[in-house]
Order: sequence, then structure tokens, then C-alpha cells
Amino acid sequence: MLFDKIAKGVIYFGGIATIISVVAILVFVFWEALPLWFGAEGKEKDKVEVKQILQSRKPLLIGVDEYQEILYVVTDSATIDFINLSTKQLVQSSYIDSTSEGAITSASKSPTKNLIALGTENGKVLFGQVKFSVSFVEENKREVKPEFTLLSSILIDSLKKPLRNLVFRKNSGEDFTIIALTSDNRLIQFSSEKTFSLLSESEEKIYKNDLSKLVEYPISTIELDNFCEKLMVGTVNGWLYYISLKDKGNPQLIQKINPTPSGRSAITALGFIIGDQSVIVGDSDGNVTSWMRVIDEKSDYGWKLVNPHKFESHNAKVTSVASSLRNKSFITGDSEGKIFLEHLTSERTLIELSGKELPVKDIAFSPKGDGAVVLYEDGTIVSFEIKNPHPEITLKTLFGKVWYEGYSKPEFVWQSTGGTDDFEPKFSLIPLIIGTLKGTFYAMLFAVPLALFGALYTSQFSHPKIRNYIKPTVEVMAALPSVVIGFLAGLWLAPLLERILPGVFLMFITVPITITIGASLWKRIPSRIRYKLKPGFELFFIIPLIIFGYYLAQWLGPLFEYYLLGGDYRTWLMNTLNEQYDQRNSIVVGFAMGFAVIPIIFTICEDALSSVPSSLTSASLALGATKWETATRIVLPSASPGIFSAVMIGFGRAVGETMIVLMATGNTPILSFSPFNGMRTLSANIAVEIPEAPYQGTLYRVLFLAATLLFILTFIVNTVAELVRQRLRKKYAEL
Amino acid sequence: MKKYFRSGEIFIWFTGMGLGLSLIMISGLLLLIVLNGKDYFWASDLVQITKTDGTKLLGEIVKEEPIPNLNLPDTLRNKGLMRMQMKIGNRDLYGFDFQWIDERDIEQKDIPEFASTIERMEFGNFYGYIKEILVDGSVKVSGERNTAEKINSYLKITSSIRDEITEIEKSKIGRINYDIENLRLQIKKIRFKGKNSENDLAEISKLESEIVEQNKKYEILKTKVDSLNQLASSYSVYCEDVSGRSKTIPMINIVRAYQPNNMTFLDKLGFSLTKIHEFIFDDPRESNTEGGVFPAIFGTVMMVLLMSIFTVPFGVLAALYLREYAKQGPLVRTVRIAVNNLAGVPSIVFGVFGLGFFIYFIGGTIDQLFFPERLPSPTWGTGGILWASLTLALLTMPVVIVATEEALTQIPRGMREAALALGATKWQVVRRIILPAAAPGILTGLILAMARAAGEVAPLMITGVVKLAPSLPFDSYFPFFHLDRKFMHLGFHIYDVGFQSPNIEAAMPMVYTTTLLLILIVILLNITAMIIRANLRKKYKSATF
Repeated sequence: MLFDKIAKGVIYFGGIATIISVVAILVFVFWEALPLWFGAEGKEKDKVEVKQILQSRKPLLIGVDEYQEILYVVTDSATIDFINLSTKQLVQSSYIDSTSEGAITSASKSPTKNLIALGTENGKVLFGQVKFSVSFVEENKREVKPEFTLLSSILIDSLKKPLRNLVFRKNSGEDFTIIALTSDNRLIQFSSEKTFSLLSESEEKIYKNDLSKLVEYPISTIELDNFCEKLMVGTVNGWLYYISLKDKGNPQLIQKINPTPSGRSAITALGFIIGDQSVIVGDSDGNVTSWMRVIDEKSDYGWKLVNPHKFESHNAKVTSVASSLRNKSFITGDSEGKIFLEHLTSERTLIELSGKELPVKDIAFSPKGDGAVVLYEDGTIVSFEIKNPHPEITLKTLFGKVWYEGYSKPEFVWQSTGGTDDFEPKFSLIPLIIGTLKGTFYAMLFAVPLALFGALYTSQFSHPKIRNYIKPTVEVMAALPSVVIGFLAGLWLAPLLERILPGVFLMFITVPITITIGASLWKRIPSRIRYKLKPGFELFFIIPLIIFGYYLAQWLGPLFEYYLLGGDYRTWLMNTLNEQYDQRNSIVVGFAMGFAVIPIIFTICEDALSSVPSSLTSASLALGATKWETATRIVLPSASPGIFSAVMIGFGRAVGETMIVLMATGNTPILSFSPFNGMRTLSANIAVEIPEAPYQGTLYRVLFLAATLLFILTFIVNTVAELVRQRLRKKYAEL
Repeated sequence: MKKYFRSGEIFIWFTGMGLGLSLIMISGLLLLIVLNGKDYFWASDLVQITKTDGTKLLGEIVKEEPIPNLNLPDTLRNKGLMRMQMKIGNRDLYGFDFQWIDERDIEQKDIPEFASTIERMEFGNFYGYIKEILVDGSVKVSGERNTAEKINSYLKITSSIRDEITEIEKSKIGRINYDIENLRLQIKKIRFKGKNSENDLAEISKLESEIVEQNKKYEILKTKVDSLNQLASSYSVYCEDVSGRSKTIPMINIVRAYQPNNMTFLDKLGFSLTKIHEFIFDDPRESNTEGGVFPAIFGTVMMVLLMSIFTVPFGVLAALYLREYAKQGPLVRTVRIAVNNLAGVPSIVFGVFGLGFFIYFIGGTIDQLFFPERLPSPTWGTGGILWASLTLALLTMPVVIVATEEALTQIPRGMREAALALGATKWQVVRRIILPAAAPGILTGLILAMARAAGEVAPLMITGVVKLAPSLPFDSYFPFFHLDRKFMHLGFHIYDVGFQSPNIEAAMPMVYTTTLLLILIVILLNITAMIIRANLRKKYKSATF
């Protein structure tokens, strides 16, 4: 008895555990995709009242090291003060001996290498570099040591006026550009370019230009990209000037636009997103938009600015923009102390960072993108910790058209990785879903008629002796590994099809013709001979007829191609239908995947058809209906739910098929409905990309989401099919 | 006419067309694979072709096809001109080993008697004439006829030397490397714990001296291998290709040499047997395009067996629960449908689950708990045969559950009731009556599951299959089964060799042959399952009380 109880316990436990664990797969796969929908996390870490530390020195600009330990503040009294964020103590204060240079009136920092430029009241610019050296005292204790070195000083303004505003950018080489706004509202460009020649040493070329003549209105803010080529100038009455500095000696005004909704509000903040393609524009009403240039053939310079994204409005003057160095996220702050962390592609406000309700003066993103420091007008500095794992995902980026950088219009694109950090990942699932449905459609187009006809013939018309051989053969066909079918499709069928495609299309005509002729000839054979062969053995004639039809089509194919398609069907396709013929295309996939699902559809169809109660068919035959009439009017309608479920199950199989698609298509995620192009399906995409996807990164989770979609889709399709089948079985049992 | 259509004769023929096409496709596919697959084992004749411009080519004719119209001038189109693809080998001399030849460029075709195929360890086959056999630089045998007779006796010497070298390298040096690696890991572990006590330091220096010891042993073996290599390198053959370019091939690099044109049908059959043996029992060569597929067979079999260990007990338990123990109701019906439908869920979804759950979650946790000293290089947190088997166990679980349930429902009620009436407990009924009666059904399920697992590739690709595994997951080193190792798999081998290999033309015979093997395995398993199932049905038809 005890044994009985133990056994019962084991079976209960084991059985239920097995079932739960199998069902838990869905839960886990779904679970891994879930964090995509969570926003960012951001919380206040440290708060420093810099006023007490800096006393009378007024902060102009702030920055932070990559571990967010040491903050630096550039002040108007020509000092760089380093403050430890956790202890809130002044670590070091480097005083720039600027007695000869005058007081500091403006400051700018180049995102690369922590280079800093300071504008003075007498038209000079001082350059310096902040360095953080990290050393490990013990195994896990690190020490960050700051250091500031003054590099040089240059006279920018020959009139020696104070520099009210300053932008300084250095590209990856030695070249740099300074754009300065003087107190008397002149816009000055100062560029240095080093040219290298084979013979001589490098040669420095200086370009100095007064850009004031290009801008008609009083300037409120300026911004320059890291390549020192795109200069954006915002004015107090709402104009944005796009000036190209590609030719440093000859700056060109490319376009002048009015980016604000009201058209008159001052542009108060500008900032380039990593990659320097998009610029964020904030105005005095709190509107935040992004602008980028696209090719425009009508414009003299070939470019125009467009507005792909709009972001949540601040409803107060936007004062500062800071971009992440890791991805396309950025932070905007306004005059009421609201700070938003946003993402360019997804237009998502990931989080509102709540610090103080004071005007924001400057924001610095930490180099690793995991934090930010904010300088308020009153001299308070707050540092935030940010966790921002999946900013680029929204329902819209996954399923909607998105206007990506470098594209001329919003599009569906899947391109998950690029070589560099400034690549904008494109996670649109639409091309993959379309690809999946396209492949499935062609497979079903091929498989359903064949399987249905085959099943109808086998169950209704073929001789039982033949039937006994057909079913195992089809089962063998079902057992063929998909890798085998995929390999043959990719390496044998695709090149063959490319050679004989016109002939294959002709087969749709020739084979029915040969069969029709065969059938009518069969009628004419004297019945004495004809009746020797029992009905149900037609198959032995049909197979040679098909083969004959095939060879006929192959013989006609080249002639057809030569006389009607002008010699080569690929050029014909290109010229008349504007279709590119890919060797591994949807037709190949349709054949191969169709081949893989024929046995499934066939078996279920055949089951449904042959289990139609014989009382129905006998009654029909007894009333004088022919075999064909019985089959189409009695058997097919009553078995139609079974056929429906067969098609559904076949559909489910084709949707999830991986290896065939992987091997028989080019795997390019293009959005095309043409049967002559390849595609990439959800399943093949997972197989191709998941080995390279970083654990729990955005791509990894998006692929899990794709897997969830596949799971749910196939599960629903199969369940519906199963329910339909069970009802049918019940109905038959009652008859 | 109307009557003719009413009778539907013609439509019946059309429905027959659907079946006929399916049957033609399946048999065509099998035929295609068999025809292409056998080429790998067959010693094809070497054809010498003299072109009209005087160039000569020697090699195997791979295929013939009509020339595409695009490649022809207008006047010659649609005339049925053929071209053929020839494998001319000698990749080291020519830089490529396949060439297309137009039929109209051929002046003469010969089948030279003493043309030799030399299978080499690298650069693929050499086709040409063996002129001399050299030992230590002096000519021992010369003349095509003589070399053809003698070459095999010389090759025996070098191949035995080669075997000796591999033996030393694989087992002895392999052992030393394995030991040294283990010692290193032990040192790393002690260091990682980081107590730096006296004991630890002593332990480390002891281990380090052991490493030195092993290195000494290694040096001794190394000199032995070097001297063997020296010995082997004194044997070489001097060959000329068809146009007279000379090439000296060290015999150690020759796998085998033969004159296919001079072989009788029986010779060729014998040759095929050695090739089949090589294919099944040898390691792959030349980035998987030559040699054998032993590691892939081994990996497939081991993975399938491991999978069966997981899938059968749990699958049977679940089926027993669903059929015998659970109260039949809407809930159980729902569960049954859900389990049924899992069989239709795409295999890649299971692969994704395996990667996320087994590898990253469980494997990653194991690494952090037990092997922190080896991080960041993962031990269990990466694909391996255990994770792949577990993934496939989940994938095939529905197959086993469904087959077992089917077998359980087919057992006549009478058998159960009789046993219960005789006073047996439920467990006794299950143990003595039901399980034995359902055993063939369970076996069918298992075989079908094995067939499915053997042919499945997509989930394996992301859970532990590799193109070339350095070592088998089972060897003579403790604990013998290394379930964390990556492995090779026949299905993946097809994908990899066919689609990722640098020289696809040369790899094709290998792909077809591997496909043939895989199909044979899968079909045999399926036919066995079918037969068992048919017998089972017969048995129960008669088993009425």
C-alpha cells in the first residue's frame, strides 16, 4: 500500500511538473522580452551646493568622470574646480593664470577627450584638457585623480570684444573649429586644419571668417557638430540657420528654417545627437524637436533639413540639451527645473528626473551613459544615476514606420547592429513578419492544392492496395529533416530553377494538358482492355504523364524564352516588370517549404476525408451520384472542418520553419512582395542573430519578443485546428 | 460531353496529379541524394581532355549541362550545346580545382591508364602521373607502371608512421595538455580564493612544479614526434601533372593514391568499402570537406541518447498522470490540447528558450557559484551537449507524451478491470499490466522522438553545436562524460559544409554523402517505429476478452 502511495505521489508530482515545465517555456520566453517595455530608471544620487564651495566664483560649465566620482566645474574666475561627489569636498582647484587674458565669459567642451575652451573678455580663447587617471589602490578600491592642463591660447576676435558664447569642437584628428559670439553680436569662425603632404611636414592652415552677414537676426544659441562641418545657429525670433563649414574658407548658408510651432519663439537650446546627424532643437515655449538633413535635389546645395521626431513638450523654456555618448538618448532641461531623459528614435520620454524646481543651467551626461549631472542656476549640482537599458523600443519602433537618420522618409527597416556606437539600431519587425507571411503564402500556394488533391485521390479514388503503400511513403516524406530539404533547395534547386524557370512556369500548362489528353485517350481504349485494369490504378498512368509534361515544358521553355521573352527571362523581368531576379527567392522557398508541409496537410486531410462515415457515401452512391459527385458534394463538405484544420496546422509549421528559409533564401530583411526576391523570416532572423546578441541587451530581448510572437501565433493556429478537429470527430461519432 | 464531366473522370485524373507530383518529388529527392551521395565513395575515372587550343586537362567529370543562351552568340543558341564541369584538382598548382569546358572546344578525350588520383592531407586531390618514388632523395622506383604497383607498399610505411604520430599527439600529448590545463585551473582557483596563506602558497608551488614536470614529459614526446616526422619526410613521390608541371609530394601528406582507370569493377567496390569505412570512422579533413564524419555521428548519437534519458521518464510520467491518474475533465482536456500543440511550436522557439534558460540562466548561475575563478570565460554558461539535449528533450516531450497516451488508450478496459478485480492496487495495475502493454507504444514514441532530434538543427545551432569540436564529449579522462563540451552534429554538418565552407564545389560530395547518412538514420528509425506501431495495433485487435 505504501508503495502504491509513493508511486501515486511520484506520478502526480512528475506528471504535473513535466506539464508545468513544458508550459513554462512560454512564460520564460515572454518574461525575457518583458523588460523592453520598462522605462528607464533614474534617481538622485548626490546633491552638492557648489555655492559654498565656490564662494564668489560662478559656474559656467560642468563635467564628470566615467565613474561619476569627480565633478569638474568651470567658473568665470578662470578656475577648474574638482569636487568629489560623494564626500562633497573640493578635491582640487586649478587656477588658470589669466591675468593677461582677462576674465572668463564663456566656456565650451568638446565631447571627445574632455577638451575645454574658455572665452575671455578680451576676445581670446584658452584651451585646456581635463584628465582623469584611474588607479587601483587595492583589488576593488579605485582612486580617480583629476588633472587640468592648459594647452594654449589664441586670439579669436581681432576687435578684442568679450566672447559671449562659444562652441569648440575638435574632430578625430588634429583639426578644430571655434565659433564664438561676441558681446556686440558678431559671429566669428576660427578653424585650424592640418594638411599632410608626402614631402613636407604637416602644415597648419588657419581660417578666420565673420559669419555675421549670414545671419540676419539676433543670435540666441549656437551649436557645431564633431566633424566641424554643420553649424546650427538659433535666433531670438525663432529662426534656425544651417551653415555648412565643409569648406572652412568659404562657409555657406544651406538653409534657414523656422522649426518652432509658433514660428516666433526663441530657439534656446541646440544639441547634436551622437553620430552628428540629428540636432535637437528646444525653444522658449518648451517644444523639443529633432532635425536632420536629407538629400534634396531641388536645393542648391543638395540638402534640406527635415523634422523626423517631436518630443514631449516642457511647457517652459528649454535651457540645456546633453546627448549620450553611448546611444541616441539625450537629456533636456528647462527653466522650471524639469529634466527629461528622451530617446531620438523611439521619441520616448524615458523618465523625468526630479531634482530641484530651479532653472537648469547645464547638463552633462556621464561618459558611460549611466548617469548625469545637472547644474542649476543657483549653483546647486545634482547628480543622477540612470539605468536606461532599452530606450529604443516602443510599439511604434517595432511595428510602425520610423524615420531613421539618413533615410529620406519613414520606413520599416530591420538592421540591428552596425559597426559603431553612433549607429542607430533599426528594430522594425514588419519586414520580418512580411517575410514570414510571404514565405508561408508561397509554400501554402504550392502545398495545399497538391496535398488536398493527393488526399482526395488517395481516400476516394485510389485502390486500397495502392493506398497501403502511399501512406507510409508520405510518412517518410514527413520525417525528412528540414536541413536536408533546405540544403537541396539552396544548392541544387535554386541554381536549377534559375536555369529552367520559364519551363517550370510552362509546366502549369503542359502537365494539365498531357493529363487531359491522357484521360481522354484512356476513354477511347476499347473497354475490353480498359476493364482489365481496376479503377483506382490511374496513378500508374498519371505519373508517366506528369514526367512527359515536365519534359515537354522543358523542351518548350527555352523556345518560349527565346521567342517571347527576348532571349533571357531575367532581362525581360528587369525591363518589363522592373523585378530583380534573386537566385534564392520566394519560389524556391515556396517549393521547399511546400514540400515540407505537404505530408502534414496530406495526412490530416486524408484522415478527415476517409473517416467520413460510409453511410453518407453509400447513400449518395445508391441515389445514383457518380463517384466524383459523391466526393465533391458529400465527402468534401462534411470533411471541410478537417481540411481547414489540416491547412491551419500546415500553416503553423511553415511559419516557424527555420532551416529551409535560412538555406534557401538570401536572408536579406527587405520589404518586398515579389516572388523573385528573397526575404528573411522571424525564425531565420532569430537563428542568424541570437548567437551574436549580447545577453539581455535590446537585440536579445527583441529576438525573444519575436520568439514569443511565433509561439503565440503557432499555438493559436494549432489550438483552433485541434478544436475544430475534435468537434469533427465528435460529429462523425454521432452519425 | 456533359455526362463525361458529370462522371468526373477527368477531375479524378487531376486529383491523381496532386498525388503523383508528391510521389515524384519524394522519390526524386531520395534518388538525387543517393545518386550524388554515392559519388563520394566511387573511384571515378580520370579523363584527359585535349582542347582545340592545345591545352590539356586531367580530372573527373562532375556534371554536364546545356550552355545557357546568354553565354552563346546568337547563331549558336538553342542548338543544345553542352558544357561540362571538371574537377581538375591540384589546387596548389592552379589555384582552383573546378573548371567548365565547352563541348565544342574539346578535340580529344582519353582515359589514360596510369593517371593517378592522389588524395592529400591538404590542397585537395592531385591528378597526374606518378613518375618516381624517392627515399632520402634517391630514386627507388621509376616509370608509371612500376610506381603504380609499388606506391601502396611505400604508403603503408608512411601511414603507419603517421598513425604513430597521431597516437602520440592525440593520446599522450593530449593527456599532458589536459593535465596541465587542470593544474592551471587549480592554481587559479587557489589564487582566486585569495587567502594567500602559507598553505596556499605551498600548494601553488607544488602544482607549479608539477606543471614543469609535465612540460618536461612533453618535450620528450615532442622530440620523438619530430624524429618520426623526420623519418617520414624522407619518403616522397615525384609527380607530373597533365601538362608536365612537376610536383614533389611528401608521402606523409598522402592519404591514398590510386589509378581509377586501371581498376576493375571489383577493385572499385573494394575501394568504396575503404571509403565508407573512412567516412564513418575518421575525423574530418580540409575544413570538413574531406575525410570522415565520425565526430558528427558520435555527437548526434550521444546527444540523442542523452535526450532520451530526459525525455522518456518524464514523458511517460506525464502521460500516465494524464490518462491514469488525473480526473478527466475540462482542465485535463485543455492540458492535453496544450501539450499536443507544443509539438507544432517552431523548434527555434525551443532553441531560444534553451539559450536563455539553460545556458545563460542556469549555466551562468552554475559558473558564478562553482567556477568563479574561470570567469569571464564560461564553463557551463555556454553551449554544450547537455544543454542541447535538454532543449531537444523539451522539444520532443510532446511526441513521447502523445504516443504514450495513445498506447494507454488502446489498452482494453478489460485488462485493467480484470487486474483490479483480482485485488491488485492501482500501482500494481500500472506496473504489471499497463506499462508492459504500453511498452511498444512508448518505444514508438521514443523512436519518433529520436528521429526528430537527429534531424533537428535550428535549436542546436544556438545551444552548443559547432562546426569542428576539438574533442569528443566522451573520452578516457575522468569523469569520462564531459557534458559541458560543444559537439558536432550531422544535420549541422550539412548546413555548415554546404553553406559556410570556402570551397563549396569541392564540398558538395561530402554534403550529399552526409545527407544520405542522415536520411538513412532518420528513415530507418521511422520505419522501425511504423513497424512496431503496426504490430501493436494488430496485437490489440486480437486481444479482446
